[in-house]
This record gives sequence, structure tokens and C-alpha cells, in this order.
Amino acid sequence: MTALAPRLLSIFKLGLLIVAAVAIQTALISRLRILGVTADVFLILVVLVGVSRGAVTGMVFGFVAGLTADIVFLDPVGLRTLVYLAAGFAVGRYVEEFGLASAWVIVLVTAVVSLASQTIYGLFQFATGPEGALFAMMRSQMLPAAVFDGLLAAPLYLGLVRLRVLPPPGASEPSFR
Amino acid sequence: MPRNPVVRRRALFTTLVVVSLLLLTVFFREPATGVLHTVQQGGLGALSPLQSLASRAVQPFEDGWRWIGQALEANDNNQEMRVQLEELRGQLVALQEASQENERLKGLLDMRQAGIFPQDAAFVVARVIGKSPTKWQQWVQIDKGSAEGIVLNQPVVGATIPVAGSLSGKGLVGKVIAVAAHASQVQLVIDPGSSVAAVVQGIRAGGFVEGTVAGGLLMDYVERDKPVEEKLVVVTSGFGQIFPKGIPIGLVQTVGEVDVNIYKQIEVRPFVDFSSLEEVMVLTSPVQFGAGVEAMDSVIPRDTGATAP
Repeated sequence: MTALAPRLLSIFKLGLLIVAAVAIQTALISRLRILGVTADVFLILVVLVGVSRGAVTGMVFGFVAGLTADIVFLDPVGLRTLVYLAAGFAVGRYVEEFGLASAWVIVLVTAVVSLASQTIYGLFQFATGPEGALFAMMRSQMLPAAVFDGLLAAPLYLGLVRLRVLPPPGASEPSFR
Repeated sequence: MPRNPVVRRRALFTTLVVVSLLLLTVFFREPATGVLHTVQQGGLGALSPLQSLASRAVQPFEDGWRWIGQALEANDNNQEMRVQLEELRGQLVALQEASQENERLKGLLDMRQAGIFPQDAAFVVARVIGKSPTKWQQWVQIDKGSAEGIVLNQPVVGATIPVAGSLSGKGLVGKVIAVAAHASQVQLVIDPGSSVAAVVQGIRAGGFVEGTVAGGLLMDYVERDKPVEEKLVVVTSGFGQIFPKGIPIGLVQTVGEVDVNIYKQIEVRPFVDFSSLEEVMVLTSPVQFGAGVEAMDSVIPRDTGATAP
């Protein structure tokens, strides 16, 4: 029971995180456009959870967050689910395998994952929808959004650590200092 | 459930991927009233109050942000429009230049057609590309030379737009004093070293028009008994084998008589504005010299209202 309680609490926190992501994304972030793009809070949270809690938690969180995002954003259900699931798993595995030399790597990892997930998303849209200018979108949408996501990851990570939703960076854990 | 964490993780990953693909498949295969679509619509309905509330709460910030964005955009637009304005100004200047050049060239044709210059004269139109740096010498450089048929001592006349019969700008400019392949130097008639045989039109008073250090023209050696009056036209006489007869030089401005001098000294106001010479015509073909100026007298009316520049 004593071992189960922290785990349940952790799951509860992550659940709350998804609810908060829905609120923040729909109420705030979607209205905030920089260089014509908005950040993807769901994806950033998936990366942060993957970084902090490993591949298994990362992919499960990615699955749930993706499913939620599919429903909220009226996307084909299963698309973001698949992309975020893969992102959470990949980031978790990367950190488990190589660790993080610096917390600034989180910014870079988030940007890379954002770019990769948008590329997959774009390819899917290209394959199923009307022909879109994928390369034009790469320049006008994907790259700026990836930069935006990466930059937003740092304050979100610090905020979630302060709120104790994510584990605080210890001596051997990533630090922004 | 496998005990090996790696296998368990892979199994979980595979399961979730399969579930995702299943969801995708179901979503695309089910009708719009299917379960997943209904869930989406339910989610949309559940979130709409939140979005509405958030929209109102965020509106002031959004307005502020938009205002900043618009201000920045306006600034960018301003800069862009300034650049465009400068470009358009440049184009306007170029067009005006082209228009003026067109008028000038048209004027050259008009001059020949109007008989102001000899009909058999051939012209080379040249652009002034350089001017003497001091007033001690009065010359200009033009962009045509021996390659275009220009040789030494060819007469050069003005190429200004004719305005309502006025001779302004159409007078004698000077003569070629140096020739290169694609450039020549023209001594202006206002050069202190220049001397042109001329007559006062109508009264047949001959003399020499010379340049002065002040940049003006002085007609000397005109006999005192000739009734020279102001505003009479002075033209080349054709004597000297350089300037053909009848090229207008200028108007009599003042007539001076000194007791000790047996000649009149006449100040001539040139038709050509030498300070703004841009294009000239070099007379390249053999033209008629000497033998009076009667023929040109019929072309250039004495009292035409000709105005100096």
C-alpha cells in the first residue's frame, strides 16, 4: 500500500498534467502566435515526462496525451496518439541510454522531437489529404514551431519541477545552471 | 506478463502502437456518427465553455499582443514603403530623364526639318561627359570621337529643345579641338581663346565673336557706322572655313562705343546655356562656307522674339 500510494499520486499528477495541457493549449497557447506558429504543449509535456520518467512512462503518457489531443483538436483519432507515443518512447530511451549532459539538451531534444513529429504529421496529411507543399510548410511552419517548442520547454520544465509534478534535478540529473 | 523489463517495455510499446493504428483505422472507416467521431464531438462540446471563458479572459492580453504585432508590422510596412518610395522616386527620375532626352532628340530633328541648320548637314549627336574644371578654359568633353566620324575643327551646335520658334539653346557651341576614338574635346565659343567670324543679321555688320574670361561673348571689329541695335541676331558668317554660315550665336545685348576705338564692341548673349549643356550636335558633313548669309536670313527672322537662355 505504501509503495502504491506514490505511484498513484504520480499517475494522478500526470493525469492532471494532461487536463492542464488541454486548458493551457486551448485557452492560452493556441492564441499566442509567434512567427505565425503556436507551440504544442502536449508534445512538450510528452518530451519532459519522457526525459524525467523514462521510456515506459513517456510512451504511456504520450499515448494518453496524444489521444486527448486527437479528440480536442479534432484530428484523426490515433494519429497524434501514435506520434506522441513514439516521441515519449524515443526520448525516454535516449535519456535512459545516454543520459543528459545538461538540462539545455532538453531544449534541443524538444525541438528535434517537435520537428520529427511534425514531419510525420505532415507526411500523413500529405498522404491522406490534398497535396500540400510539404517543403514550404517545413520552412514556414515546422522549423519555427520546433524552435518555439524547444524554447518553451525550458520554462515549462522548471515550472513543473517547482510544482513537484516532475522530479527535481539532482546532482546527477539535468540542471539548467 | 513478461518479467523481463525490456521485453515488457517492447510489448507495451507494440501494443500501444497497434492500438493507435487500430484507432486510426476505425476512425477512417467508421461513419461520421461512429463512436470516435461522437467522442470527438463530445469533447468539443465539453471544451467549448472552457474555451469561451478563456477567450474572454485572454482577450485583453490578446488585444495587447495583437496591438504590438500590428505596431511592429506597421513599422515593417513603413520601412518597406519607404524603400518602395525611394525605388519609385528613382524610377521617376529615370523616366523624367528619358523623357527629357526624348524631347531633346526630337528637337534635333525639328531643327533640321525647320531649316535652322543647313539641310545637307549631317549631325552626330553627342552627350557631354566632362567639363573644364576652371573658367580659364571653357571646353567640354563629348562621348563621340573619330570612330563616329568626328575630326578636328568640326563645328558643334546646341541640342536644346526648340520652344515655339525660339532659338534658345540652338546656337553655336564651339568646335572640336581634340579627338580620341570615342571622345572629343570641344572648345566653347565662350572660351577666351575662341574667335568666330560672325555677322549681325539683317544689317550685314561683320566682326568676330570672341569669348571672355567672364564666360560671355564679345563681338569685336564691327564698324562704327553700322546701326547695330539690341536684340539683333548674330550668326556665323562662314568666313574662316570652320563654321558654316548662318549658325545662330546669340543676341546683341549691349552695344558699346569708345571714342578711341574705331570699332564697336558688342556684348552678345549666347543662345546656348553653357552651364547646362547635356547634349550637342557635331556637324560632320561638309557644309557651305562663306558667301554671305542671305540664305539664312530668310530662315531666321530678324525679330522672331528669339530669347536668350
